[in-house]
Amino acid sequence: MDNVFSVIKLTIQHWAELGWLPSSLAYGFAINALLAGIIIGPVLGLLGTLVVVKRHAFFSEAVGHSALTGVAIGILVGEPYTGPYGSLFGFCLLFGISLNYLRNRTGLAADTLIGVFLSMSLALGASVLLILAGKVNIHIMENVLFGSILTVSAEDIWLLAGIAVIVVVVCVVGYNRFIISSFNAELAAARRINTKLLDYVFVMLITIVTVASVKVIGAILVGALLVIPAAAARTVAASMRSFVLLSVVFALIATVAGILIPMQVDLPVPSGAAIIICAGSLFLACVSARTILPHLRGGNA
Amino acid sequence: MTNRTLLTEANAPTIVFDNVQLTLGGTTILKQINLRLDAGKTHALIGPNGGGKSSLIRALLGQVPHTGHIHFQWPQQEGRLGYVPQALEFDRSLPMTVMDFMVSLQSTKPAFFRQKHAFYQTILNALERVGMSDKAQRRMGALSGGERQRVMMAQGLMPEPSVLILDEPMAALDDTGAQVFEALLQSLKDKGTTLLWIEHDLSAVKRLADTVTGLRQTIRLHGAPDKALSTDALLSLFSHTPQPPHSITLEAAHG
Repeated sequence: MDNVFSVIKLTIQHWAELGWLPSSLAYGFAINALLAGIIIGPVLGLLGTLVVVKRHAFFSEAVGHSALTGVAIGILVGEPYTGPYGSLFGFCLLFGISLNYLRNRTGLAADTLIGVFLSMSLALGASVLLILAGKVNIHIMENVLFGSILTVSAEDIWLLAGIAVIVVVVCVVGYNRFIISSFNAELAAARRINTKLLDYVFVMLITIVTVASVKVIGAILVGALLVIPAAAARTVAASMRSFVLLSVVFALIATVAGILIPMQVDLPVPSGAAIIICAGSLFLACVSARTILPHLRGGNA
Repeated sequence: MTNRTLLTEANAPTIVFDNVQLTLGGTTILKQINLRLDAGKTHALIGPNGGGKSSLIRALLGQVPHTGHIHFQWPQQEGRLGYVPQALEFDRSLPMTVMDFMVSLQSTKPAFFRQKHAFYQTILNALERVGMSDKAQRRMGALSGGERQRVMMAQGLMPEPSVLILDEPMAALDDTGAQVFEALLQSLKDKGTTLLWIEHDLSAVKRLADTVTGLRQTIRLHGAPDKALSTDALLSLFSHTPQPPHSITLEAAHG
């Protein structure tokens, strides 16, 4: 397996030296970064279409923010601060699943409940971080918050790839059922779709993809990459086909551009921020296109 | 094809409600529902708003926790249950065409992948039955309420159900739509499908239903439409003060 990886890496480096690819790719860490982006971008784009249809945007943001607390707890209990995956997965899954469990059980609107959870989790994270401030270099938190693509290791990439496969398979297999269950519970039940189970599966998908993306995009902005490409695609797409396709392509373009451009022009911008700025620009372009081209508004009866 | 049709005819279930009771948040929505809906017949469900018609259907679909039992007595192996919901709302901007919606319901292959040509054709045929095949590429959100209702009807027919549950299917329909719907209902009846149908239009009930059940918290009237839909029974069903029928005015019945 690691052989495959090093062959890919050497080939890319060779091409970069020949000038076929951007020159920054002559460095090993840059290739790791790019691979991570190519793997995670399309996955976020695909899952994002469901997030947008199911109106889980705020939920995704909240799970992303809970990653901060996950990292803080991880460092507190002595996990390596370059990849405290145990507590990241643990805390974020706990956060996402308990949020989903309490939905429909508190009589509160979903956004209210998410708001409460988000603030509690941030408060907990901030407290733990301040306790830690004396022990570790607090600047590593910058990496957690905004992504540190240049420290992506081979292990991180394998983890990303593994999670990408799981998420894509579950997404593709369950796509229609996820969509139908978000429209009408009775209609879903008549089609023997287990809406409750699917809700939990969906929440877990968002959580694991968020955790896996923390290194590339950072806790603060990972939710954004789940939402922005899909939102952009939604404004110009006429069918599910173009919606999903465009969302995946937008997410891929945003991640690759967000990783490569700062390296090429030597900008000290965190990868996550650059990726989201690219995605945001695509979004604005789509919204403008929709305003200018009336047929994109589609299906006027 | 003939075989399948015969199977459907033979396989329509009888639905039995056995002392069904439903309480939500301290409010009794349904109580003492004992009802037998014979196989292959058309059963209309009428009653005032908030009388529990939709709740009964949600209980039937296993979507609310109720006490008592609801049985489907299938003559053979379990067949297909079709459901036509009340007109669903769709975001206008959701990029989901009528075809996408139909594919999502019928296929496990994601709606964003290309499907088999024959499959598209089957869906178009179903849409044709409700006069919507020319609008297959429209967005769901761009349809009128009546058109959306026709799409709901088309999905209820795919695949051919042994039992079909309809929640106010005519509410959003225009006259042409209502005619299309009545013709479809008639053809399902002829095939021997068990139909359970919530309806407000009492003359349609009289024309099409084999039995009618009036529901306000509990069953207030039941029987063949000709006999059960007496003025007194209806006045009592639609009244807020279920006192002696002769004391109720017509205004109260509509209030």
